[in-house]
Amino acid sequence: MFPLVSLSLFIPLLGALVILGLRRAPDPAVHAVGIVAATLTLAGTLWMWLKGVRPDGFSQVEQLDWMPAIGASYRVGVDGISLPLVLLTAVLFLLTLIFSVRVRERPHAYVALMLLLETASIGVFTALDALLFYVFFEVSLVSMYFLIAGWGHEDRQRAALMFFLYTLLGSLPLLLAILALYLGAEVSTFDMRAWIEQPPLSGTAAMWALVAMLFTFAVKIPVFPFHTWLPAAHVQAPAAGSVVLAGVMLKFGTYGLIRFALQMTPEAMRQAAVVVLIFGVFSALYGAFVALAQTDLKRLVAYTSVNHMGYIIVGVAVAALASDPALRALALDGSVLQMVSHGLVTGALFFLVGSLQERTNTRDMDRLGGLLKPAPALGWFFILAAFASLGLPGLAHFPAEFQIFLAALGVAPAAVIVVLGIVVTAGLYLRAIGKVFMGELSSQWKQMPDLGMRETLVLTPLALLIVALGVAPAWVLQVIHSTTGRLSF
Amino acid sequence: MQEMAHDLALMWPEIVVLLTAVVTLVCEMLRCARAGFVSLLAGLMLASVLSVPLLGLETAVFDGTYRINALSVWAKLVLLPATLLAALLVRSELANSPREGTVYSLLCFSTFGALILAGSGDTMLLALGLLMSGLASFALVAWSRDSRATEAAMKFFIYASVCGAVMIFGLSYWYGVTGTTLLADLDGLQQAPYAAAFGLVGVLVGLGYKASLVPFHFWAPDAYEGAPVSIAAYLSVVPKIGALFALAQVVIDLPDDSGWQGMLALVAAVTMTVAYLAALVQENVVRMLAYSSVAQAGYFLLAIVSLATSTLALPALVVFAAAYSAMNLGAFAVVAQTGVSRKDLFGLGRRRVVAGLAMTLFLFSLTGIPPLAGFAAKFLLFAAAIEAGYGWLAIIGIVNSVLSLAVYLRIIAPMYRSCVVSDNLQGRAAASPAATIVWLTGLIATLFIGVMAQGILQQLRY
Repeated sequence: MFPLVSLSLFIPLLGALVILGLRRAPDPAVHAVGIVAATLTLAGTLWMWLKGVRPDGFSQVEQLDWMPAIGASYRVGVDGISLPLVLLTAVLFLLTLIFSVRVRERPHAYVALMLLLETASIGVFTALDALLFYVFFEVSLVSMYFLIAGWGHEDRQRAALMFFLYTLLGSLPLLLAILALYLGAEVSTFDMRAWIEQPPLSGTAAMWALVAMLFTFAVKIPVFPFHTWLPAAHVQAPAAGSVVLAGVMLKFGTYGLIRFALQMTPEAMRQAAVVVLIFGVFSALYGAFVALAQTDLKRLVAYTSVNHMGYIIVGVAVAALASDPALRALALDGSVLQMVSHGLVTGALFFLVGSLQERTNTRDMDRLGGLLKPAPALGWFFILAAFASLGLPGLAHFPAEFQIFLAALGVAPAAVIVVLGIVVTAGLYLRAIGKVFMGELSSQWKQMPDLGMRETLVLTPLALLIVALGVAPAWVLQVIHSTTGRLSF
Repeated sequence: MQEMAHDLALMWPEIVVLLTAVVTLVCEMLRCARAGFVSLLAGLMLASVLSVPLLGLETAVFDGTYRINALSVWAKLVLLPATLLAALLVRSELANSPREGTVYSLLCFSTFGALILAGSGDTMLLALGLLMSGLASFALVAWSRDSRATEAAMKFFIYASVCGAVMIFGLSYWYGVTGTTLLADLDGLQQAPYAAAFGLVGVLVGLGYKASLVPFHFWAPDAYEGAPVSIAAYLSVVPKIGALFALAQVVIDLPDDSGWQGMLALVAAVTMTVAYLAALVQENVVRMLAYSSVAQAGYFLLAIVSLATSTLALPALVVFAAAYSAMNLGAFAVVAQTGVSRKDLFGLGRRRVVAGLAMTLFLFSLTGIPPLAGFAAKFLLFAAAIEAGYGWLAIIGIVNSVLSLAVYLRIIAPMYRSCVVSDNLQGRAAASPAATIVWLTGLIATLFIGVMAQGILQQLRY
């Protein structure tokens, strides 16, 4: 069998090694290697998409012995939950690398780290071995740390340190939970499929494992009150770093929430679901309200991430509570789709904020105004992405959030209060658009150039995907639903 | 007589190390340090090779006083190559200096002591091994003869004397109760809980100083700082692992209800936390690494605590010993090339890309970040602790891993900062090739022990 998943997983790493080998190569060659590697990866994941997933369990599984003595193997594969996220990762990394061709400062290290991060990200979504999952999970932290510390803005060292310490502290409890699941399983194995098939822990032990996992994923997602690293990291990270951080890495948390918490400790998750739900609702509302108070455009987008990720938590908690399989599938469909939508929309927004900052050297909304006139393309792309982000029907977030709210209404009607978040985000985005793109144009920005070739090339596919996902989400939902429709726990 | 020959045949590695020590001593008398260095390398390699056939044996020689078991054989397989790497570092640092040759024979004697410790099946051998490796170590620390080295060696010596005496005092209680010095007969302590506790405290003080466990670690940072960097590298690895393996040999024979697990767990928790907190404020990289090696001793204890109740503990101990030797020697080797102040490493990642990358990986591995050797080892350690019912200790270990990241990032972050580059790195002075070999070897081991742990696990028939 052709090892398609492993190839898609390791092509970026190979690209990174090639770049490290080409120490003397000129900068454009380095960027070209990066883009070629990411393109090949995207081709691989598209092929994976075409091969599709079987409705039961995992498809396209590839396996190789690693440490048979303790039951750890190299196992990768996809199902309807991970496949859309793998595709999203490949798309965003390719666009990020295209967007980054302007990086002149140590491009070798930059592109190599990006590619390493891509391998780690795809690895997190495709790993079927808990130990392997953890390895990729941590490698992603290291590469992101160096990206923020090396290419970030003014206060990058502090932000990078905070990001690294915070998320390492966050991820280590997951290691404990993995060990607990491993020691609890009848057969000594780290095979996630076996753990999903037959949850190894029950009772108090399962609850402790769940608490450890929830802590890890809550930091990663992030959920209030574990979100404090996020605005700092986002504001200081380079634009491309922010895109990857928000578009891909936040999904590790919600993906883990479904894959580990919901699937491996289902009983405990059901008991704890109400608490998780409350955290989700609160986090979504909190993110929206705090975003409302921001004047820094990048912080604003960062906080709306907290809001959107909150909806996903609501969806997962609702799925855990639901006794009707149809409602459960509805909630999970919405949650997974929301992950994809958020990746596309927030990715586009961070690209645009990055472009804006490159031109104006500021992110302060009060200093901007009337920019639609000198930069109409930038403005309209921003307006499209902002409308998508506030959940306008016909754009990417709407079908996802709609399904989550619908399921919540059926299972825990009180949770629908979270819809308030949409009202608040609508308000804050309209205000942001008004301040930055409408109104009087200051003479300072009269000569501001509009989007260039490179930026248009990056944003057009994102805009198309946002619309495609909003108008006809069926092509993704079909894949997601093939798995979520049959989950039994 | 035949039995004697049989026993001696099982001790070939130790005999070779001892002979090598004598040969290097003779070379030094002939004022031929290079010959001493070469015979040391040859002797250690031969001893390592001779240790391999012993794998899988589970026996004891000389009436049960010296053990040939998984612990002692793996100790040889880890400590002999580690000594070899340390000797390479010594060569690169002290070549053509006066008294270079003595260092080689002292290294051999000290390693011999560490091997005796790791294989001891008798309380007398514990005392003997402690003394043997201790005496050589004091002389090594005092090598440079300046006031700082003398002070460090003196401190080390006084500490060692007192702690060694306390250990022998404690052991006398065990002898009094059981009527034998054999560790295998420690079952007899079941009826005498107080004597058991006294003896255990004594052993903890004696071996704890050697392994630099808190609160017996105070000598370590001073001794490491006073000694040449290569000697500090050696002291942080070989005698420490010898003492920790000796502790493991002792506790597997202690009765379960004597409370040794609780006591060790407490020491482990305190050691990790105190040492990393102290490491957080060091400006001298050698002192920082000294405190970090104190903390790592605490992680070793995680495996020793679980030894009686978890099947993962023994593999964890061995894998961690191998990983720790590789990453710690590697880190010291990089420091030996750059200089010992934190400022000396500024800009390392930009000026010497490979050395910088190696240092980063060593420090990440010490933190326990996958997929490096330190992760594989700590992962097994935590698994063993949880299996043994010491989940809280695993949590403390994990919290300390985060703390350790803060410690190591204080070194790593300025290595890549653009604005400052230390004076040492300004020119293109050639780095000594021997030290480069050491950190390259350490790097390869750090990268692959994690992936290859299967070999060790399988041999230990987990």
